[in-house]
Amino acid sequence: MLLSATCANPGRDSALRCPRPRRAGGSHFVGIWRTVTLVPRRLGAGTPQHGVPTDFGILITKAFVGILALVGLVAPGLAVETVDSQHPKNSQHWAFVAPERPGLPDVRPRQWVRNPIDAFILAHLEKENIDPSPEADRAALIRRVSLDLTGLPPSISDVDAFLNDGRSDAYEGLVDRLLASPHYGERWGRWWLDAARYADSNGYSIDSIRSVWPYRDWVVRALNADLPFDEFTLWQLAGDLVPGAGLEQVIATGFHRNTQVNHEGGIDTEQFRIESAVDRVNTTATVWLGVTLGCAQCHNHKYDPFTQREYYRFFAFFNQQENDGHGSAALEAENTLDLGTPEKLAALAQHRKELKQREKELSDWIEKELKSKQAAWETALNDDAKKEMKPEVLAALVVTASKRNEFQAGTAFNAFRDENTEYQERRKVVDEFRKKQPKLNVTLVMKERSEPRETFVMVKGDFTRRGETVEAGVPAVLGELRRSEVSVLQGDSRRSDESSAVARSERAPKRPEGRALNRLDLARWLVSPENPLTARVIMNRVWQVYFGKGIVETENDFGRMGSPPSHPELLDWLATEFMERGWSLKAMHRSIVTSATYRQQSNLHGGEPRMRSVNRTLAADFDSRSELHDPRSVDPVNRLLWRQNRLRLDAELIRDVQLAASDLLVPRLGGPPVFPPQSEGLDAFTQNKREWKTSTGGDRYRRALYTHIQRTRFHPSLAVFDAPDAYTTCTRRLRSNTPLQALTLLNGQAFHEFAQGLAARIQAHAGNNDAKLEFGFRCCLARRPATNEKARLEQLLSDERKAGSEESAAWLTVARVLLNLDETITRE
Amino acid sequence: MPPSLAHNAHMLTRRHFFSQCAMGLGGVALASLLGERDLFGGPAAEHAFASPFTMKPAHFPPRAKSVIYLFMAGGPSQLEMWDHKPKLTALNGQAIPDSFLEGKRFAFMDSSFKNRSTLLGTKRKFDQHGQSGVWVSELLPHTATIVDDIALVKSCATNLFNHAPAKLFMNTGTGLFGRPSMGAWVNYGIGSESQDLPGFVVLQSGPRGPRGGPVNWGSGFLPTQFQGVPLRSGAEPILDLASPAGISEARQRRALDAIRDLNLTRLVETGDPEIATRIASYEMAYRMQSSAPELTDLRGESDATLRLFGAKREEPSFARNCLLARRLVERGVRFVQLYHADWDSHGGPGQTLEDDLEKVVHEVDQPCAALVKDLKARGLLDQTLVIWGGEFGRTPMGEAREKTGRNHHIDAFTMWFAGGGVKPGIVLGETDELGFAAVQDRAHVHDLHATILHLLGLDHKKLTFKFQGRDFRLTDVQGELVEKLLA
Repeated sequence: MLLSATCANPGRDSALRCPRPRRAGGSHFVGIWRTVTLVPRRLGAGTPQHGVPTDFGILITKAFVGILALVGLVAPGLAVETVDSQHPKNSQHWAFVAPERPGLPDVRPRQWVRNPIDAFILAHLEKENIDPSPEADRAALIRRVSLDLTGLPPSISDVDAFLNDGRSDAYEGLVDRLLASPHYGERWGRWWLDAARYADSNGYSIDSIRSVWPYRDWVVRALNADLPFDEFTLWQLAGDLVPGAGLEQVIATGFHRNTQVNHEGGIDTEQFRIESAVDRVNTTATVWLGVTLGCAQCHNHKYDPFTQREYYRFFAFFNQQENDGHGSAALEAENTLDLGTPEKLAALAQHRKELKQREKELSDWIEKELKSKQAAWETALNDDAKKEMKPEVLAALVVTASKRNEFQAGTAFNAFRDENTEYQERRKVVDEFRKKQPKLNVTLVMKERSEPRETFVMVKGDFTRRGETVEAGVPAVLGELRRSEVSVLQGDSRRSDESSAVARSERAPKRPEGRALNRLDLARWLVSPENPLTARVIMNRVWQVYFGKGIVETENDFGRMGSPPSHPELLDWLATEFMERGWSLKAMHRSIVTSATYRQQSNLHGGEPRMRSVNRTLAADFDSRSELHDPRSVDPVNRLLWRQNRLRLDAELIRDVQLAASDLLVPRLGGPPVFPPQSEGLDAFTQNKREWKTSTGGDRYRRALYTHIQRTRFHPSLAVFDAPDAYTTCTRRLRSNTPLQALTLLNGQAFHEFAQGLAARIQAHAGNNDAKLEFGFRCCLARRPATNEKARLEQLLSDERKAGSEESAAWLTVARVLLNLDETITRE
Repeated sequence: MPPSLAHNAHMLTRRHFFSQCAMGLGGVALASLLGERDLFGGPAAEHAFASPFTMKPAHFPPRAKSVIYLFMAGGPSQLEMWDHKPKLTALNGQAIPDSFLEGKRFAFMDSSFKNRSTLLGTKRKFDQHGQSGVWVSELLPHTATIVDDIALVKSCATNLFNHAPAKLFMNTGTGLFGRPSMGAWVNYGIGSESQDLPGFVVLQSGPRGPRGGPVNWGSGFLPTQFQGVPLRSGAEPILDLASPAGISEARQRRALDAIRDLNLTRLVETGDPEIATRIASYEMAYRMQSSAPELTDLRGESDATLRLFGAKREEPSFARNCLLARRLVERGVRFVQLYHADWDSHGGPGQTLEDDLEKVVHEVDQPCAALVKDLKARGLLDQTLVIWGGEFGRTPMGEAREKTGRNHHIDAFTMWFAGGGVKPGIVLGETDELGFAAVQDRAHVHDLHATILHLLGLDHKKLTFKFQGRDFRLTDVQGELVEKLLA
């Protein structure tokens, strides 16, 4: 147990470094060694023998070294290098050293290599003597790349056009069209919103509705415009602090307003303000840095060189905002941004001002006039009047006015006030005026408080236990956040629209001496070229979408306890390429999806030796080599990517694919959340009953991106397919496979509606049964059915007819079957 | 992997496929479909093909096979029901001795609180019951009859005093969202015996659901197949269980047959074991379409049984849920959790210690006792762990509202445990003379979690899941086995 725990992550920078012993010392040793070889630290192109790390260390204690020495595994006195834990900055853990541009490995079957990505992949495959899989056929390719880039399946005419496109760059042309589609922003917007823990409600037990969807739409717009990722970062973390910030920059700060707000009474509001700030710290560290900084909230990090003090230095960046409204719904209005034309905004400001004035007049009147009349009212109460009263009011009135406790005094006064006709009239006038407030969209934004708040270390993470005072800063191991280090952009090869020009012009050092570092400084540091993590972490998460696993499998832990990268040079190539291409996500998407690696077949037979003959183009190259290995034995989990992976679609895409197949999809972009049908009775299990006003008309058939996200009552058809719960950041989704999913797709109201839509669509298609079946099949899967598949569907159709089903009912069964196929909800 | 191991894994998977998925394959010539190809594509299958319904071995022989957790949502007052404090009654109305307040934080309480709150003795009478002579209040005449079968733990303690975080803490061992609940951990650890029903089922009664909602039975970072499935009281016990209107059972089966055959074709074509799991999921979904309605159909239960529980066949109630809980464990379901609200006796309207507490106690007293008796009579109590308790207890001080109430209290409250390897007829732990804090055998939530897992054959330190770079456990870095609770 000890061995597997400590050896799981060899890293050069362990607390103690133990050079590899020369020879095995018995069976006990073999066990240790095999554990270690399973997880080589680096599988570099320069490593002479794949799978045997040339340099490794294991995280062990001095005592353990002693044990090793005792049993003869390590010669006493063998060089053991100690890293000074007081100065973790010296750490050489790979992820904490800025990526360098790696050279391309020399690989043999060059025809297979379409771009540098393939060279890195092939280098590893060659070492294991296994081949890549053949390219997927065109129907599979167009469905795969359409789903990956836009989240929607290709239409049959798209498929046909692609099948008939004889140009050599037909595929690249397709990729460019998909990247230019506005649906690209929707698909990858959802990817980002997972990290942003976006939701349309406040969470905690009350979970009232909030309006922050303009942030969601901003994400979609920004991605569609390919806003460079460094600016994308800057605006979201500190758009409000960018001098001369425009509306877009401020809306973008909604990223960190996606924290929960607790409206429960009786809470300690400071506790929850801090909880929000903690979430912002941990989310920022996970999303941009891929490190488990949160582990250092209560004590120094156990594995990575982050001290608790450094945690609170990072915390200081997020300690300068007001309470977001914890403990009271009223406060929330303070930190919202109104969206509308200047006239509307002016009208709203005027209305608010007047409303405040009127409220003040009313309360002044209550204090000066009304209160003096309470005693007389109480004296005048007769028995009849008292009979009408609630027991708690009577209980309060029994007590002499001067002796009432707070609760009783309030109860008695409210009873008197509410019966006063003059009060009622005045109240009504104010309320009527309130209702006339101009209706504008609002969104939650970040805002710095005017007076800086002091930050201190919280002993054991407890906010009531005050430790040393700290200033804002970043963990030393990740470099320094220097005063002068504010220019983050490299040579400006990118497109320059007006808004980004504004942001860029503000990057010159502006910070006056003595000003505390703020979120803007932090954001700039995150996307500076010296930062070793951001570009790697983001590229790894992009990669993860395309292949199901990251190059670093622990996408949220690049620290010592994380898994080492399967292809470290590839990761560094992607990271440096990302920065060199001006942080353009679209450029990187294009590189990945046009690679041969991405275009491989996904089936598990791809590596069977007898399948090789299919791969005629490469035959000459491959066949000259001796003894190819079966990759299914060498690399059963496909870490080396000898094939693509079949991936069950994300929850939202399952809905979207079915909407598209049934031709019910309303592809309108943006706007307030919508309420597609969901099964009744969900409220029974939540604290507060909330009406779900099912959308009618087009909003019933919008993409799942727009479905209202109620944190405590997540839409069941999304939750059942592992949509993240939006409580904390999510950087990787699970892919479960459960009977409840089957029930949802078979019987759920929304999905049955899609089946009806598809059935109608099939029936309306011209042609005989054969043509209709093929049409329906292609609506869902893009490819044509194989003979046995078509035969099975024909059998189903005839069984239905034999059983006496109406024509429409028979086709409905066919449609239900097609929409429930594993392949329909899978990207192959 | 050595060749022999790879071969075994391969054969295991293949056998598993036939036992799990091949049921009801009808006219499909399965062998001919599978014969041509190396279906499971080598050892990868062993890694990728893990049926969600597989039983897994425990760490050591278990005492309990199933758990029924009766969750009293809102924080029941131990001082009205279990923790007999004559001294508190004697000091009724007096100020709280300072020594009890040092270093404590309480909900809804600011600095002026001390001046406004005084000690509140209960008005309920206590008596000793059973062979064991356990003190129980007059509010619980039925539970008083099973004291020899239960272990009363008076020294429970937790960390959080607001409802939602405290419930999460009781269920997941932390007040943070996103962690797996106990039922999910248990199913992750040892799987479920039921092939026709989910391994973790949640039932609810009372005026509203528990605060926090589904996160209380969520799977957190564990795969979603382990999350609790709410069994609803309406016509459709599981969401989307019934076939859509107009789809007869025969039509549903025809559709399922075609789905299975076409998926099988794809499985052969791609060799992806995930498709085998998909086929298994669809077949279990189909079985649930009949097993769940059968479960909730109480026509087969005798009138005597219904009388014992105080349940009606159709009418939703806590009593009916208790009966359903017994039926669930009879059918092999691993973890059943019942929520009943509302126990939040602050003293305000609907929350008084006088009338409202009496009402809610009355709703649960008879059914809880009946459940234990019924399980015992059927020989199920030995293998079923029954847990009773809320997310925290209530203060020895009263609250200044229109009637009497008590506030949330985390330093001492009472739960009871029965069956499944728990020592019957004991009282564990003692509180100080006013009931402020546990002074003997303190049983913190983490300790209770460790003990519950232990009874199921699981070592709480070994039941781990790697997430965000470290191994997580239900008990995190805490938890001591409560040895005295074990039979």
